[in-house]
Amino acid sequence: MQPAFRYVHLDTPVHRLHPLVKLIYVFLTLVLVMYPIRPTDLPVLLIWLGLSALLWIVGRIELRRFATLLKILFGTFVFLIIIQGFTYRFGQTPLLVLGHLRLWEADLGVITKEGVWFGVVLSVRILTAASALPIFVMTTPTSAIMTALGKLGVPRVATFMFVSALSFTSLLFEMWGSIVEAQKLRAFDIDRMNIFRRAFKAYIPIITPLILLLFRKANDFQIAMETKGFGSPIPPTEIEVLQTRPADYLWLAFILAVFAACTVLKFA
Amino acid sequence: MADQPILSLQGVTFAYEGDVVALRDLNLSARRGEFVVVLGANGAGKSTLCYVLSGIVPHIYGGRRRGVVSVAGLDPWDEPLYVTAQRCGVLMQDPEVQLFMPTLKAELAFGPANLGVPREEILRRSREALALVRLDGLEEHNPRDLSGGQKQRAALASVLTMAPQVMVLDEPTSQLDPLGRWEVGEAIERLKRTGDLTIVMTTHETEEVLHLADQVLVLEEGRTVLQGSPAEVFSRTDVLEAAGVKTPVLMRICAELLGNENVPAIPSLSDVARRIRELVAAGRLTVSPEALPPPPSLTNNGPVILEARDLTVVYPGPRPVIALRGVNLQIREGEFIGIVGQNGSGKSTLVKSFVGLLRPTQGDVLFRGKSIRRFSVGEIARRIGLVLQNPDYQLFTPSCREEIRFGLRNIGVRPEEMDARVEEALRMVGLEMYGDLFPFRLSFGDRRKLAVASILALGPEVLILDEPTTAQDHRGRYQLAELARRFHERGGTVIMITHDVDLAARYAQRLVVLWEGQVLLDGPTAEVFRHPEELRRSFVVPPMAAQLAAELAPLGVPSHVMTVEDLYRVLRPASQREA
Repeated sequence: MQPAFRYVHLDTPVHRLHPLVKLIYVFLTLVLVMYPIRPTDLPVLLIWLGLSALLWIVGRIELRRFATLLKILFGTFVFLIIIQGFTYRFGQTPLLVLGHLRLWEADLGVITKEGVWFGVVLSVRILTAASALPIFVMTTPTSAIMTALGKLGVPRVATFMFVSALSFTSLLFEMWGSIVEAQKLRAFDIDRMNIFRRAFKAYIPIITPLILLLFRKANDFQIAMETKGFGSPIPPTEIEVLQTRPADYLWLAFILAVFAACTVLKFA
Repeated sequence: MADQPILSLQGVTFAYEGDVVALRDLNLSARRGEFVVVLGANGAGKSTLCYVLSGIVPHIYGGRRRGVVSVAGLDPWDEPLYVTAQRCGVLMQDPEVQLFMPTLKAELAFGPANLGVPREEILRRSREALALVRLDGLEEHNPRDLSGGQKQRAALASVLTMAPQVMVLDEPTSQLDPLGRWEVGEAIERLKRTGDLTIVMTTHETEEVLHLADQVLVLEEGRTVLQGSPAEVFSRTDVLEAAGVKTPVLMRICAELLGNENVPAIPSLSDVARRIRELVAAGRLTVSPEALPPPPSLTNNGPVILEARDLTVVYPGPRPVIALRGVNLQIREGEFIGIVGQNGSGKSTLVKSFVGLLRPTQGDVLFRGKSIRRFSVGEIARRIGLVLQNPDYQLFTPSCREEIRFGLRNIGVRPEEMDARVEEALRMVGLEMYGDLFPFRLSFGDRRKLAVASILALGPEVLILDEPTTAQDHRGRYQLAELARRFHERGGTVIMITHDVDLAARYAQRLVVLWEGQVLLDGPTAEVFRHPEELRRSFVVPPMAAQLAAELAPLGVPSHVMTVEDLYRVLRPASQREA
């Protein structure tokens, strides 16, 4: 089992893009989704999501990765739409009436059209935020991430923590898969349990060995890193030479333009 | 070789925190370019010696040390780890934890970049290291996508780019398949031929290092029990056995059967065969083929218990991997089957399909004629038990008893019956004294036994062992196989995946060789070992005793000789026969 969002070595315009431009795109995504939300935000979010889709396609990232992202977030989306449907305080148009239970301004027994819509907007906002980081991680080699973060003045230890966390994720997925298999061999079938049983019971036989193994692996990682000079006070050599090309400026201008358009549209 | 030792330990004693003494009064000296092999059972102090040399103690694992240590002019105890790392590189057992960068190029640059080595120099060292381990051309590959042997060679190259003067290799081949072991062994051999690097290597695989070693050190409970040239050390078979170290088969035969007469200090197969022929011709050895009982017949008329029918398994992905291609295999009740083949040949995929962990892409798996798809996870667990290589993936309870109860609860065993089954399972694996112990306080070998117990308690009809010798020393390597043998004697069916041909020769009645997802050979074990050409395709080498028997066939040595014990039955000193 491999993590869904690990770096894929390809030669595409997005892979060649300067990591700082990609970092600016991630940062602007976060700014955009942090703007105060309104039900009318959907076009703005869809425009930015369109930009993400463009990067996704130009970067030749497999579509099934996006499907994985949707699968991970699907439960959250359903939850948000239902909860907002019942509790959105500006909801006026009933879609489904189960009864009446007024709490402040909301009627908790009624699913409203406005609430469902607000839930949809919230979901799209989450999807917009969640789709940016995979593009960065899947198209940027770790050494380039380290160099780029170094240029931004981020301490090397902090950068490496981020980078090694990415590496550890891969190991984590493999271990998770192996543990689930090992417990199935003793008739413990987590895949067939409902969400409530999983939440309250099932994860102990999975998470306990995972934590114990992670402690051990972390120790081995520490040995491997420190015996390769990690943590030395010597200024490290930058292996990845990051060069800025005209295409980087064009992409940056394009991203900034889209961001400006979204901001204007949002607050107009 | 320069005369001055580059590595020196004088009267070194080391105890971990908690006063666990791991090394006692150790003395060792090695010159530039020398290859030192360190042998010993698990817990003998081999890894601790590696830690002492590379500075991992005291900088990562604390403890107390006495004595003098000098590694390339430094005492690792007094220097920060990054300083020692510039003189002494260390390669550990598990390649997975030594590779953390997304490309091989970045992996190789990681160490020297941390030390501020100029970029051009790093790139030069990387090119040289990749060429030495024969991974050139893979610079942009993700190390995690490489095979086991390639990963370990990548890890070796990533240490070489630090340009150390001393290289410490801690069981670098113990987690690899035969191909991986050969690849890494070949890289180490080339490293030795460069002549500049002093290498200290710990291992259980004495045969692999016999021709490389300049000096051999044998440890037992932290003490030196033997030290000297390979010829000196390996001629002491009694001391080696007592220390839990495997004597290379040919040297054992020389010492025990040929009295070490007229054979080179480190003999080859043809040397030993020649000497046996001479002794037979001189009447000092006799050949008694009748002394070896014929191999057990494979005419098993029992019902088919497991069957793979046109089984194809494809792992999806950007580049789908065909793990099994139309495999047809019938396993009858009461058989003891060995499955061999290099990593990626489909062994694990096959047994995971048997227990329903993987669904066939095409074809089917049948248990007593019924598709495995019709069984629930619990129903399969009651019928087929698979013991994985690493027990730590399953242990999570506070006691060994609870660990066994877990599976029993999942299959709905009644509480009044449960305790009896738990105690019986503990007794079967010899852990009845440790029922209340926290499983992680057991040794790795005992944790594997606990994993077997937790599967046996479910009462399966088929027991599948995946690599029962992994991470075991010479003394403990057959413990799980012995458990399987007892299970088999009680009428159970056993399937054993292994890379260890000696283990297969000793226990398996039938051997299946997988190669690129297909069955390459299938038949009685001795019969399969008579196809060295086909076996070579799968990087399986017949046991040394079987190879020797093939060489001595013209003398009448039967072809079903597979172990040294078999050979000793057939070839006996004339005096013994007369007696």
